[in-house]
Amino acid sequence: MSELALIIEDDEDLADIFAEALRGVGFEVERILDGRSAQERLTGGNVPFIILLDMHLPHVSGGDLLTIIKQDERFLETMIIITTADARMGDLYREQADFVLVKPISFVQLRDLTARLKPKK
Amino acid sequence: MRSFLDRILNIPTSDPDDARRRRVLNILLLGTFVAAVIGLVAIVVTGTFTELNPTDFQILLFGIFGTILGILGIYRVNRNYSGRLAALLFLLLLTAVFSFSDSPAELSNGRALFIFTLPITISSLILASQSSFLFAFISSGIVAGLAISIGQPVNIFAIIGFFMLALVSWMSARSLETALDELRTINANLDRVVVERTEALAASLDRERIEARRNQAILNSIADGVIVFDRKWNAMMANPAVRSMLEVPIELLVNKNFRDIIENPKLSFKSRGLLNAMIEHDTQPIGFRIEWSGKTLSVSAAQVYNDRGENMGFVIVFRDVTREAEVEKLKSTFVAIVSHELRTPLNAILGYAEMFKEAVYGPMNDKQVNMAERIMKNTQRLLGLINDLLDQAQMEAGKLTIQMAPVRLSELLDNLHSVLDKSASDKGLRLTSEIDDSLPDTLNGDAARLNQILINLVNNSIKFTDQGSVRVRLFYHDENKWGIEVADTGRGIPEPDIPNIFETFRQVEGTATRVHGGFGLGLSIVKQLVNLMNGEIHVVSALGRGTTFKITLPLATSNALQANWRVS
Repeated sequence: MSELALIIEDDEDLADIFAEALRGVGFEVERILDGRSAQERLTGGNVPFIILLDMHLPHVSGGDLLTIIKQDERFLETMIIITTADARMGDLYREQADFVLVKPISFVQLRDLTARLKPKK
Repeated sequence: MRSFLDRILNIPTSDPDDARRRRVLNILLLGTFVAAVIGLVAIVVTGTFTELNPTDFQILLFGIFGTILGILGIYRVNRNYSGRLAALLFLLLLTAVFSFSDSPAELSNGRALFIFTLPITISSLILASQSSFLFAFISSGIVAGLAISIGQPVNIFAIIGFFMLALVSWMSARSLETALDELRTINANLDRVVVERTEALAASLDRERIEARRNQAILNSIADGVIVFDRKWNAMMANPAVRSMLEVPIELLVNKNFRDIIENPKLSFKSRGLLNAMIEHDTQPIGFRIEWSGKTLSVSAAQVYNDRGENMGFVIVFRDVTREAEVEKLKSTFVAIVSHELRTPLNAILGYAEMFKEAVYGPMNDKQVNMAERIMKNTQRLLGLINDLLDQAQMEAGKLTIQMAPVRLSELLDNLHSVLDKSASDKGLRLTSEIDDSLPDTLNGDAARLNQILINLVNNSIKFTDQGSVRVRLFYHDENKWGIEVADTGRGIPEPDIPNIFETFRQVEGTATRVHGGFGLGLSIVKQLVNLMNGEIHVVSALGRGTTFKITLPLATSNALQANWRVS
């Protein structure tokens, strides 16, 4: 298992902040800014340790991406953290994700959470 | 023949007794007339074929003629003048004729004696009941006079017999008249009752017609579509508004069953299901929505009962709410967009400020850290306001939902402290909390909304308390209720303002809004959330000493059935 964190988030600033938090913990970070690119990325490449998934994305929704991830055995061990501005949507997908974070998501909160999840060397 | 007889026998008069007497007299006159004519024919025949004394023949002939003339005269009197006079004349004529109908010996004491019983009997029928005594007297006089004239003894027994007969006749006539009188009274009463009933019935029919016309006019003029069904859901009537709403001519609705009416292709599949459920279960829903030919209609149904409480049918009211539905949809979309578009950039501001504070890009001095903290604090405040506004908008749109799940009470208080401890200590206030021992650790509720209630109430208390404490207590009320109590030692709320504190965009003293910041939505949202949870909120306040908010909520432990309801 790599120490790759995949951040799927269409807002560049938030993607920046999330990336900084995860990098701070020691993850290697890959950012994807729309649903379609995310869909393509998920078909191959390195299997990430964490996927930070925004539910509100252009082209392909976070819900659809979640279905793809859940159907792919390669992501069986991958931690899924859903990020959404809509608390009700978060409730809807709570069962399928490891964590649901409702925006506003604090830099410190994300950093501390992912630090706990990171495999100890 | 009958009508001819009726015409000559009946005499039109208002007194029914008089009419009866005069008719009987006419019948007697007719009988006597016929008898006289037959007598005349018999005399003429006898006079022609036998040797008859010419003097006797003449006397008989004149007698018969006189009788016939007398009868006709009496008939005219009876018809045109007076029944009583005619009857008297007839009876006198009869008595006179009888007086010459035989020899004086036979009349006073022999075979013809009882011929005088006739006028006595008849008189009580056609003249007056008591007149039988008059004719008993006259007959007695004649019989006695004849006996004396031929030198024979007066027949006392015959005279006593006459008076006895008069007595019997009088009594019979009296009882007949009384019976007829009673019968007429009964008839008159019956007639009066019939007339009264007929009038009452006509009046009530009139009233019903007026009422029906008025109801029809009201139905015709209202904008809502109304269809009235019988017990088996057959349409009995529909108002004009229905036609434009359902786009179905009224002729095609009336007398049709509702099940057939909703087979209309303009009705959406889901809506047909809703209406079918309503029909099958005879429910009385209020304002559920259906889609019919591109319109959104609100449907309300009510059963109609008669005075005896029997179901007579159903009234369905359709209201066109297309516009409202569009506005609600727009509002809901707006809320979703605003919710996302406002929170995202604020999240970015918050994140970058945190990064400064955490010295992600290198060391910061105290001043810079302080600035970063201020940016964060203000952003949090702005986020709080946006959340309040969005909650308010959602509640107004009926979109805010309560989702029940097991809630740990200690976690509620932990969260409260993590959010507001700093605000309290910044003002030098003590924020304390406790949970009654009698409360279970976990009960059913919406954790997010309970957190919101607690934070709003405590935030409010901190805002309006300058020294002292804010105490939070979760308490056991009874087996059906638990509660939240937030008590502060703040400035208190003036008595007249207490009823208004739960209104939206309201703060006590008006201008305080500026002094303390905020939209004045906090307490309003608390109140609405408590209502959504089927709870109650009360406030007790003393100026200068503090305010206590007390909320009671239905108690359902986490083992109880988990409810999930949408408030519309």
